[in-house]
Amino acid sequence: MKDKGGATAGQALMFRSKDFLKWSDETMEYLLRKSPVGAGIDLVTKDFFNWATRNSLYFLHFGIMCCALEMAVASAPRFDQQRFGIIPRSSPRQCDILLVNGPVSKKLKPALRRLYDQMPEPKWVVAMGECAISGGPFYNSYSVVPGVDQFIPVDVYIPGCPARPEALIDGFLKLQKMIKENKKGLLTGR
Amino acid sequence: MAEMWINMGPQHPMTHGLWNLRVKVDGETIVDAVPEVGYLHRGIEKLCEGKTYTQVIPITDRLCYGSSMTWSHLYCTTVEDLMDLEVPERARYIRVVAIEMQRIASHLMWLAAYAGDLGMSVGFTYTMRDREVFVDLLQALTGARLTYNYPRIGGVAHDLPPNFERDTMRALKYMEMRLQEYEDLFEGSKIFMMRNVGIGILRSDDAVNLGITGPSLRASGVSYDLRKDRPYEAYEDMDFKVATHKDGDCYARYRVRMDEMWESCKIIRQAIQKMPSGKWRVVAPRNGPVGTGFGRVEDPRGEGTMYVVGDGSDKPYRLKIRSPIFVTVSAAPTILVGYKVADVVAIMGGLDMCIGENDR
Amino acid sequence: MSEGGRANSAGARDMETAPSRIDANPEDRVLRALAETFPKGVSDGEKVRPGLIRARVDRAELYSACRTLRDSLGFEHISMISAVEYDNRFEVVYHISSYGSRLVIELIASTPKDDPSVDSVSSIWGGANWQEREAYDLMGIVFKNHPKLERILLPKDVMYHPLRKDFKG
Repeated sequence: MKDKGGATAGQALMFRSKDFLKWSDETMEYLLRKSPVGAGIDLVTKDFFNWATRNSLYFLHFGIMCCALEMAVASAPRFDQQRFGIIPRSSPRQCDILLVNGPVSKKLKPALRRLYDQMPEPKWVVAMGECAISGGPFYNSYSVVPGVDQFIPVDVYIPGCPARPEALIDGFLKLQKMIKENKKGLLTGR
Repeated sequence: MAEMWINMGPQHPMTHGLWNLRVKVDGETIVDAVPEVGYLHRGIEKLCEGKTYTQVIPITDRLCYGSSMTWSHLYCTTVEDLMDLEVPERARYIRVVAIEMQRIASHLMWLAAYAGDLGMSVGFTYTMRDREVFVDLLQALTGARLTYNYPRIGGVAHDLPPNFERDTMRALKYMEMRLQEYEDLFEGSKIFMMRNVGIGILRSDDAVNLGITGPSLRASGVSYDLRKDRPYEAYEDMDFKVATHKDGDCYARYRVRMDEMWESCKIIRQAIQKMPSGKWRVVAPRNGPVGTGFGRVEDPRGEGTMYVVGDGSDKPYRLKIRSPIFVTVSAAPTILVGYKVADVVAIMGGLDMCIGENDR
Repeated sequence: MSEGGRANSAGARDMETAPSRIDANPEDRVLRALAETFPKGVSDGEKVRPGLIRARVDRAELYSACRTLRDSLGFEHISMISAVEYDNRFEVVYHISSYGSRLVIELIASTPKDDPSVDSVSSIWGGANWQEREAYDLMGIVFKNHPKLERILLPKDVMYHPLRKDFKG
């Protein structure tokens, strides 16, 4: 079988380990992402993975300001977002959602961009509260970025100052609906 | 062993707001610590210079969102000192009720975050559930859950709603039962006690010199509470004790805050029973006089002060805000040296930091 | 006057509470002590209301006045350091409070517009350290002999001082 690496399977058995790894990487990449095998797997498992993703959205445990308290209260017994599968995680590498809940100051901007880049695909960004949407009561301050969508693409906006915990859960449910309507397969992206 | 700097933050579950703590460790023991703040700086002092005196009140609410009633009350007290206004009796009692309820809610929020960080998730769920009781009462009183916008210059925004006294009395009876349960829950947990007793000892003369105020100071043995020593609003008529503890470790700070919750329940009960009738607000003049005003209150985290300079127009010329947490965070190196990295969570969490008022 | 449970810096406390039977008013006693020790440096001392006194101090005598306040008059806690800009001067306002006699003194030091610098009091009170850094960061007042005068709230590479009146943000 010839593939992009330009070597046959027979020749592969005679590689050194570094080249073997590179060849097997390229083979799997082609198989899963570009060939009909990948599209076939996608067709079968697409809806299942979609259901699993949208029912276990993990957001980053990142609280900036007042809306962070409402985010904490949403995990509390009264509003209880864990029944939808939404749990905060501490490390950005394990999260699906970046929940921005407060004004972004100019000192914080590079750190937030780095956090966003550290999250693996697929990822979504939710802007919670007025400060994240457009700067809020501090829009004309010298040290606040007016809205987080100036440097990060945002999927769901939740208004409120501070946004009530019910509004936060409603925002997550809208995000779940958005993911459900997304018909692209995870592997091939088509 | 090699020494190295570890960066804890800005995104870290224990931080409660964004600040960066760089600790220098030698193995597991902390040798030095440098806190970095400023990630939440919004330029509030400059913003306030462009707004009228009344328009500043919602902005001061968002200084410390864990206890926002005390900050807008402090601002109103300062401006009333500038304008030489006399607040009516009923407004003073209503303010006391609102502030003490806010104090209980703030301490419960602290306890929830503290217990959650130390690994006791049951502490988090129980205290959050009970905090909802007081947040509901405050929502009936003011209309909002977190940033109330309730005190006004010259009084409060509106009167008590119907059935408020009955609901408050019920809530207090429920709360006192719950406080007893919390004491048994937390002090009966061996791990909680091991992580708190003997950790983070702060001596009293260090605390006074470094400017630490509030429960952390009282936990080191200095009995100074602005509500008792320089009474404001209606606190002269209230009968309560000042909670102190002599050890200065994390357990002492926890104990002082629990005792403060007991005392707040007593104060609210007395204030509701002694509430006079009458006006709840006087109308303040639009233009402030030329001069300065100074206000000091006992915030749940310490002593908050404000200094306002008026220049005759309807906007403040300069508003300076001093937050107790600003000084407490600067004392972090003194308290942390000598303990292990795993104790950082207990020590810094026990100081009850709300970074919103730190960075303004 | 002092009860059990107060902070125990015993020497200053006894010396301060003993003469209180002679001079009924602690505010006047402090003002008189300051005026006698610094006849030219401290001026305009007045009692604003019970518990709050105010005085103007010359910026050259600021350090020694603060030392006297802490060591012999019992003012152990610095509450706030504010910086205000007027048309022709900067003013640095110190609010210092005493736990024993429950007073607050408001000390005002003026500096000319083109040389906004005063001595740092962070070696007297540790709590003044970060407050002076903040006054430097936001208003541009330079504190001489400060251990580490750098920016604290704004990013380190910023060039302006935002609270000045000529900064339009």
